Amino acid sequence: MKARRDGKEEDSNVFQNLDKTTLLQEARYFNSTPVHPRKCIHILTKILYLLNQGEELTTQEATDIFFATTKLFQSKDVVLRRLVYLCIKELSPMAQDVIIVTSSLTKDMTGKDDEYRPAAIRALCSITDSTMLQAIERYMKQAIVDKNPAVGSAALVSALHLSATVPDLVRRWINEAQEAMTSDHVMVSYHALAVVAGARRNDRLSTVKLITKLARTPVRSPYTLCLQIRFAAKLAEEDPSEASEPYLEFIESCLRNKSEMVVYEAAHAIVNLRKSAKDLAQAVSVLQIFCGSSKATLRLAGARTLARLTAKHPNAVAACAVDLENLISDSNRSVATLAVTTLLATGAESSIDR
Amino acid sequence: MEGSLFEPTWYMVKGMCIWDYEGNRIWAKYYDKDVLPTTKEQKAFEKNWFNKTHRANAEIIMLDGLTCVYKSNVDLFFYVMGSSHENELILQSVLNALYESVSWLLRRNMERRVLMENLDAVMLAFDEICDGGVILDADPTSIVSRAALRTEDVPLGEQTVAQVLQSAREQLKWSLLK
Repeated sequence: MKARRDGKEEDSNVFQNLDKTTLLQEARYFNSTPVHPRKCIHILTKILYLLNQGEELTTQEATDIFFATTKLFQSKDVVLRRLVYLCIKELSPMAQDVIIVTSSLTKDMTGKDDEYRPAAIRALCSITDSTMLQAIERYMKQAIVDKNPAVGSAALVSALHLSATVPDLVRRWINEAQEAMTSDHVMVSYHALAVVAGARRNDRLSTVKLITKLARTPVRSPYTLCLQIRFAAKLAEEDPSEASEPYLEFIESCLRNKSEMVVYEAAHAIVNLRKSAKDLAQAVSVLQIFCGSSKATLRLAGARTLARLTAKHPNAVAACAVDLENLISDSNRSVATLAVTTLLATGAESSIDR
Repeated sequence: MEGSLFEPTWYMVKGMCIWDYEGNRIWAKYYDKDVLPTTKEQKAFEKNWFNKTHRANAEIIMLDGLTCVYKSNVDLFFYVMGSSHENELILQSVLNALYESVSWLLRRNMERRVLMENLDAVMLAFDEICDGGVILDADPTSIVSRAALRTEDVPLGEQTVAQVLQSAREQLKWSLLK
């Protein structure tokens, strides 16, 4: 089968009958100068599409395509450059000698062009090993505190991935990450918290300090708050004494947040942490409201967390019986199933009549 | 039922996909090596999921230890999946980001043909939303501004009358089908 070249009448068909031999040939076109961005974008898109469909390349084939794409660094076209980064990320596990692009990517990452920088950082960190990383460490630290939030986030998320392989190196970037935690940007503060808390994961005392301090500062980002709630809940779970009361208070304060995501996160934590039925009332009433929502995701979230409560406090859930009964005939099967099983577990004679 | 807290993790997204009306993969990314590691497993799983979801527009499904939120439009299906011990509303926010961004990139022409013509931008949008399972950005405005970088687009004045008519006719057709 050959790729259909005359696909004018059905453009999408261009992608239907691709095969890798043709594409390997087309990739040779990347060697010609000057680069013709439009045509190269089209070929790169086809390569990425084929890989995404599960086409397997041999090491040699992957390396050939990889080296061909490096020629495209001559072009300044933004889309082309970004697709090259994608190709680098996709091919780097399969191809050999991928570190050859390190200097090109470092140049893009430190350049003036904000359209390249974030993506270049992410591509670079996906190919470099620990020895190469030390060479770019200075740039990473700068990027973490960069004014452009996309650059900061890209560097922080890359740091998160790297902490799995080179935790000691990433730990040296903590100061910068802490600075980024104060960012006004929703995602930057979230990624920064993840980096800082991740690096201190096994150090309970500094986690306590971090979470206690954060609980006192107002946070806007719902993602940051969700993560904060998770850490606070974990601390409270590990130490169920009086000392955990501030964490629970913080989590309860999140029940009044504007974001449903945060409210649910808090309610879920409280349901799993609080011992007495009285302390649960607020969280349960939030979940009750979720059960009556028009959005299936909210109904499922509410029903699922209530279902968890049945083992611990059947009475608290029994109070929501009417809400759950409404869900029995829910159009969403997962919601209906959860409601039925929960009711069966809590059911009393009085509810059978209804 | 396991009564547990949500794990403090930032690897929240296990996968994101777009399928066509027959359940064929248009673009799919899986971020967790322990979940569906091979393409063969992924495709079998996708088929199974598609069969269970394509008729019922039920927004969310729990299956095989995963929670999946989804949304469809004309002939496109959008899916975001996470662990079944994950905050569903966070996954929903990622799905909304994906759906809204793609919708903007296709200038509201949500159909397979238009998507394939703009596949490069859609790939970049995927890359902007999630990096290796970490939510990178969930704001469609900033995602689109970083994915829609193309400068071409023939201005309206230079299109032929036939082209304009054709695109108008298609927009009308799909708006009637919705």
